[in-house]
Amino acid sequence: MSRVEWELFYNKFITYKGYQVALEGLVVTLEIAVFGLLIGIVIGTLIALIKMIPKEHRVARFFSAVCDVYVAIFRGTPMVVQLLIGWFVLLPSLGLQLNSVTVAICVFGMNSGAYVSEIMRSGIQAVDSGQLEAARAVGLGYWPAMMRVVVPQGVKNILPTLGNEFITLIKETSVVSFIAVVDVTKAFRQIGDSNYSYIIPYLMLALVYLVLVMLISLLVRLMERRLHKGDRHS
Amino acid sequence: MIDIRDLYKSFGSLAVLRGVSTTIHNGEKVAVIGPSGSGKSTLLRCMNLLEEPSAGEVWLDDRLLTRPDPYFYPEVMRASRTYASMMAQTTAATADEQILQRIRGERLLHRHEGRAFRTALAAVEEKSRLDINRARQRMGMVFQHFNLFNNMTVLQNLTLAPVQLKLKTREQAEQRGMELLERIGLADKRDQYPSTLSGGQKQRIAIVRALAMNPEVMLFDEPTSALDPEMVGEVLDLIKQLANDGMTMVIVTHEMGFAREVADRVLFMEDGNIAEEGTPAALFSSPKNARTQEFLSKVL
Repeated sequence: MSRVEWELFYNKFITYKGYQVALEGLVVTLEIAVFGLLIGIVIGTLIALIKMIPKEHRVARFFSAVCDVYVAIFRGTPMVVQLLIGWFVLLPSLGLQLNSVTVAICVFGMNSGAYVSEIMRSGIQAVDSGQLEAARAVGLGYWPAMMRVVVPQGVKNILPTLGNEFITLIKETSVVSFIAVVDVTKAFRQIGDSNYSYIIPYLMLALVYLVLVMLISLLVRLMERRLHKGDRHS
Repeated sequence: MIDIRDLYKSFGSLAVLRGVSTTIHNGEKVAVIGPSGSGKSTLLRCMNLLEEPSAGEVWLDDRLLTRPDPYFYPEVMRASRTYASMMAQTTAATADEQILQRIRGERLLHRHEGRAFRTALAAVEEKSRLDINRARQRMGMVFQHFNLFNNMTVLQNLTLAPVQLKLKTREQAEQRGMELLERIGLADKRDQYPSTLSGGQKQRIAIVRALAMNPEVMLFDEPTSALDPEMVGEVLDLIKQLANDGMTMVIVTHEMGFAREVADRVLFMEDGNIAEEGTPAALFSSPKNARTQEFLSKVL
């Protein structure tokens, strides 16, 4: 890291207002991660609910199988491939006019839905089966027992893991430039491109992600501590 | 009154209950003893359908809790396509094979029979079956591991079911809950969470949680097995109080002294069957069955 490189970076970043591009990129990154997670939570909750339906009915088994296929597809293919298919295959073939950020949000949302559903399923499964039995034994039906006793305890397992899912999403968004989205990664790359000096922009980029992730994991840990205040002794 | 008729339960190819029949009369206190793996807990859990029996029926007074067992209804079996061939198939030589065949036969009937059979079975069900949630409101259950709702305070544990099922208003349920907590001397714990309580306290609260529904029958599944020795007494005392109040109860237990003191009748289970039953005096002092003698000589 010579002085020249620092000067080039400073020149581009401050004097020529490169930080504006970087900030805009950062906003796009957060936008995709936040809305992606929100969509993911909606889809994931839906899938988890469907999977919770007792498998006695044929209809329940059918929908459960559909969910299995969905989860298998989104967990079994790389994020980049999903983005490319969304942007270059689905969008034109459905004849939709959407900007690339919207497409990125949708793809990340659907992808994260698959993971979130698994997080929720395992979080609820981790609740001791005696809790459901006790709730059924006092005469509550299956759904009231789940909603009043099992799910609230499952949420305790789920929330911190959702925080981790958010962190994963933030880092994964760095591939969205594949479909021409200018996120924070693309922004720093442009800064590097402008004077063919990449060392400092890329190290800075790493630092930006690192600080972001550390901030979020701090929040997650605080949340976790608050959630488990009640059961220190168990 | 709980009437158990020829009850079978298998987990895979392991037959845990092998044709158990018995009747628990109102006001009766029945202790179920026996070596582990003999099916005591499974029998108890079948009584409120936490475990679905593979064959046989459980009745609460004059209403059916389990789905009807087609074998008991000639009119249903006459509607069956496979009945004749199944009856002809009693090739099973050993008792084990007969039991597995009985269970398998039941499963095949439910799965593969035609419309006539289903209609006949549905008619029986329509006539006598009681909604399981209704039935469970009349049968309190106490678990080995307490299973208090961890996400609720002690008082909320007691009021959840009566309020949720609209049997009481919140105020009524809380009032009744506090009465029950006072009875066991834990009124000051009303706003604590279960994780802060001792095992004995948890189990006593689990017992009054069941009582909050004013059940006709109480089912106890090894209520003291997970407790530290010094806490066993307080839980047994509470169960004794209930017994003295005339509550009908079924108690699966390893506490022989307690069974002898409280029970009107003791069932000794062995290999998924009731090997011997009788009054505590008769069964504990002069057991007739060789396995009962062996078991008692080990535990007494």
